[in-house]
Amino acid sequence: MGDPETEGGRSRVITIEQLRGPQRVTWCRGCGNYGILAALKKAIIRLDVPLHNLVISSGIGCSGKLPHYIGGLNSFHTLHGRPIPVATGIHMANRDLKLIVHTGDGDCLGEGLGHFIHAARRNVDLAVFIHNNGVNGLTKGQFSPAAPRGYKSKTSPPPPGAPMDPVNPAAQAITAGASFVARGFSGDQKMLTDLMVRAIKHKGFAVVDILQPCVTWNRQLTWNFYNEHTYALEEHGHDTTDRLKALEKALENGDRYPTGVFYDVQKPVLADGLALPEDIPLKDHETDLDALQEVIDGLSL
Amino acid sequence: MDITFNIGGEAGQGIDTIGDLLTQIFVQVGFYTITVKDFESRIRGGYNFTQIRVSDRPVVAPVEEVHIIVALSKDAIIGQRDRLVDGGVIIFDDSIVFNDVEACHFPAPLEKTAVDIGGDVRMANAAALGAVLSVIKFPFGLAEEALTNIFGRKGEKVVSGNIAVARTLYDMTAEKFTGSCSQDLAQVKKGPSTDRFIVTGNRALALGAIAANVKWVSSYPMSPSTSLFQDIVANAHRLKIGSLQTEDEIASILMAIGASYAGARSMVTTSGGGFSLMVEGMGLAAMAEVPIVIYNAQRPGPSTGLPTRTEQADLLFTAFSSQGEFPRIVLAPKDPEEGLEIAVRSFDLTEKYQVPVIILGDQYFADSAMNIAKPNITGTKIDRGKMIGPKNISGYERYRFTEDGVSPRAFPGSEGITVVSSGNAHLENGHITEDPNIRDTMVEKFFKKVPHILKDLKPPDIFGPKEPDVTLLTWGSTWGAVFEAVETMSSRNMSVNQLHFCDVYPLQTQTLHEVFEKSKKVISVEMNATSQFADLVRMKTGLTVHHQINKYDGRPMTAAWVIRKLKEVGVE
Repeated sequence: MGDPETEGGRSRVITIEQLRGPQRVTWCRGCGNYGILAALKKAIIRLDVPLHNLVISSGIGCSGKLPHYIGGLNSFHTLHGRPIPVATGIHMANRDLKLIVHTGDGDCLGEGLGHFIHAARRNVDLAVFIHNNGVNGLTKGQFSPAAPRGYKSKTSPPPPGAPMDPVNPAAQAITAGASFVARGFSGDQKMLTDLMVRAIKHKGFAVVDILQPCVTWNRQLTWNFYNEHTYALEEHGHDTTDRLKALEKALENGDRYPTGVFYDVQKPVLADGLALPEDIPLKDHETDLDALQEVIDGLSL
Repeated sequence: MDITFNIGGEAGQGIDTIGDLLTQIFVQVGFYTITVKDFESRIRGGYNFTQIRVSDRPVVAPVEEVHIIVALSKDAIIGQRDRLVDGGVIIFDDSIVFNDVEACHFPAPLEKTAVDIGGDVRMANAAALGAVLSVIKFPFGLAEEALTNIFGRKGEKVVSGNIAVARTLYDMTAEKFTGSCSQDLAQVKKGPSTDRFIVTGNRALALGAIAANVKWVSSYPMSPSTSLFQDIVANAHRLKIGSLQTEDEIASILMAIGASYAGARSMVTTSGGGFSLMVEGMGLAAMAEVPIVIYNAQRPGPSTGLPTRTEQADLLFTAFSSQGEFPRIVLAPKDPEEGLEIAVRSFDLTEKYQVPVIILGDQYFADSAMNIAKPNITGTKIDRGKMIGPKNISGYERYRFTEDGVSPRAFPGSEGITVVSSGNAHLENGHITEDPNIRDTMVEKFFKKVPHILKDLKPPDIFGPKEPDVTLLTWGSTWGAVFEAVETMSSRNMSVNQLHFCDVYPLQTQTLHEVFEKSKKVISVEMNATSQFADLVRMKTGLTVHHQINKYDGRPMTAAWVIRKLKEVGVE
């Protein structure tokens, strides 16, 4: 895959300078997104993938702006809730490309929840990083699909606050058929970088639910809250191949949030089931017109 | 010779099989055919029909009169009775209980003969065929040769069985049918047509798209577009086409946009309801200047409307949908032959101008079949538009400002190039901006393309005299009925012509100005209630048609209907 001259060559070494963002970051000071961006850069440097074969697809919201804050990468800043289907199409057209989806909880779990579930079902080879802060930040703090029941905002005034349960992205991903499901925390760089590297390398639909505070709007899910209410799964001997155990852990949210890998298995990916050429990317394939003419001849009397 | 056969019955009874068989025989023998399908939105039961018009000269629309009916159910015996011509015949299986037998009725042992002679009840189709051919005195020898060709691939047993069953009914009908039929083809020889390729609008589009090297098609099933998608899927493995049935039309178009951004020619297929869901995605394609071909096979709306019927009421919706302003191209094929050509052209247009191209079909176009000359696609040339050359990669910017508004494309995965796209307003490098000057320049960039697009579009066609009393203004699939109406009226020494648009948007105005100048009266004829094309013409030219003729019952147009309606506005 890729140009042989670059395999293990000089261009494989990616530096932090190359990744310097082309635009000034507009996130609030103290935002959890900084930790996610930093971890992503570290992960990309650690990956053994040429820079030109990486593509970021993002949705709308604070998370959606990430492609403008990292340099040297192909990217497509798409629509609210829609980065996953766009990424799916990009990957199908060229499987040499590694797709990284940056999406928010408002993006992925509201308008995008259907796409998320179906992409997991297809086990399409994408890494999906959910910037999960429980609020719709960019539209100024309304409750998001991941906000806890009772969460107070301008569109969910008390009583009762948000009148519904939150979406649990890790549990949704596991039940829908994702083959790699993890949870990270923007405040734990080491673990988050590891999870990102594993998710991008994973062959299949890989989800990392990334807990991050929205320092401007969310008074409930704060740095302190997460520091006090998260614990590492692997320290408690979790079996990442057991789907039911993984689901059990993913559903544990309440007083304590497990972080780390819930589930990690191999299974057929979407591309295995499609009529894609094996030797070259779909985008470079040229339909054999003689073969098509045979089809036409066969239809003719 | 101009005969119309109507094969009616319940969904699932095999109407299509008999219809296809009849069509194939007449095509083999050298006649022109047009087959329309009239069916209800249900899997089994109800009353549906296939209607085949056969002629020794080219026919481009269905007619209202029926000469021969083959009824597979009681409903079908009475369903088209009032459209049967004097001297018409209704053939049905004698197992159907029907007591009001008239001289035009012929109950025949179709299924019984199929079992007794052929050993297979499915050969009732051949039995019906034998009865039909006998009633019109069509020489059996001509049909026999055609049947041998048609069934040839299925083996000798199938061929001989079907021919024996058809022959038995043919002879039995000659003996037992005591009524008279107005059609007597005893003297018929092979017809003049050499067109042996029977194709629907949907199939023509599918084949054209494949010839144009479509590499990604993601769709959600929706009548009447679905058969196009199924044709793509059927050929996907052999020809290597990425195709996927998605969770909804939103995902369909977004996957296609992704695939196109990455370099694959991409298409989605749907009808108006699905297109409604795709509109958001189409706006993204426009803003990010990602090529995309969208097929909207129209059906009557709003909402679910009439799922299996026809209408041309999405024109203005298609031309103006989405928030914001951007150029797009709308093409409306008049028949399958043009569909084939449009399919290739639409991909070139979307890639050359990096604007969405919508192919606007309708159920009549989608499902109706005609026999055309077998297309030779081996020489298909495609134009992928401006691409960045290997020497110009340094400092590549996806949205570089250019004279004609079109920036060279590059695809992700190319070393040394970064392809940055966004649905937000963006800089030349693709990163987002709110700068008012850049915004101005980007909007102007979009609209710089329009004059170039207009030059590239196919001009409208004029059929008939240049300075007539009356011009009939049409677009898309209503071409055929109006064309035949113009032919008929011209033969009555009326001064009539037809101005027809295939490339409907952006609107080419020059010919319109000329025609309004030269013609005494311009009358729009459309399959919708509000004359949407006439409205578009007025909006873009200030020209107002003198009369509007509209059909919105969901059934295809005929020349007779057009002539009747013209009479109502004083044109006769």
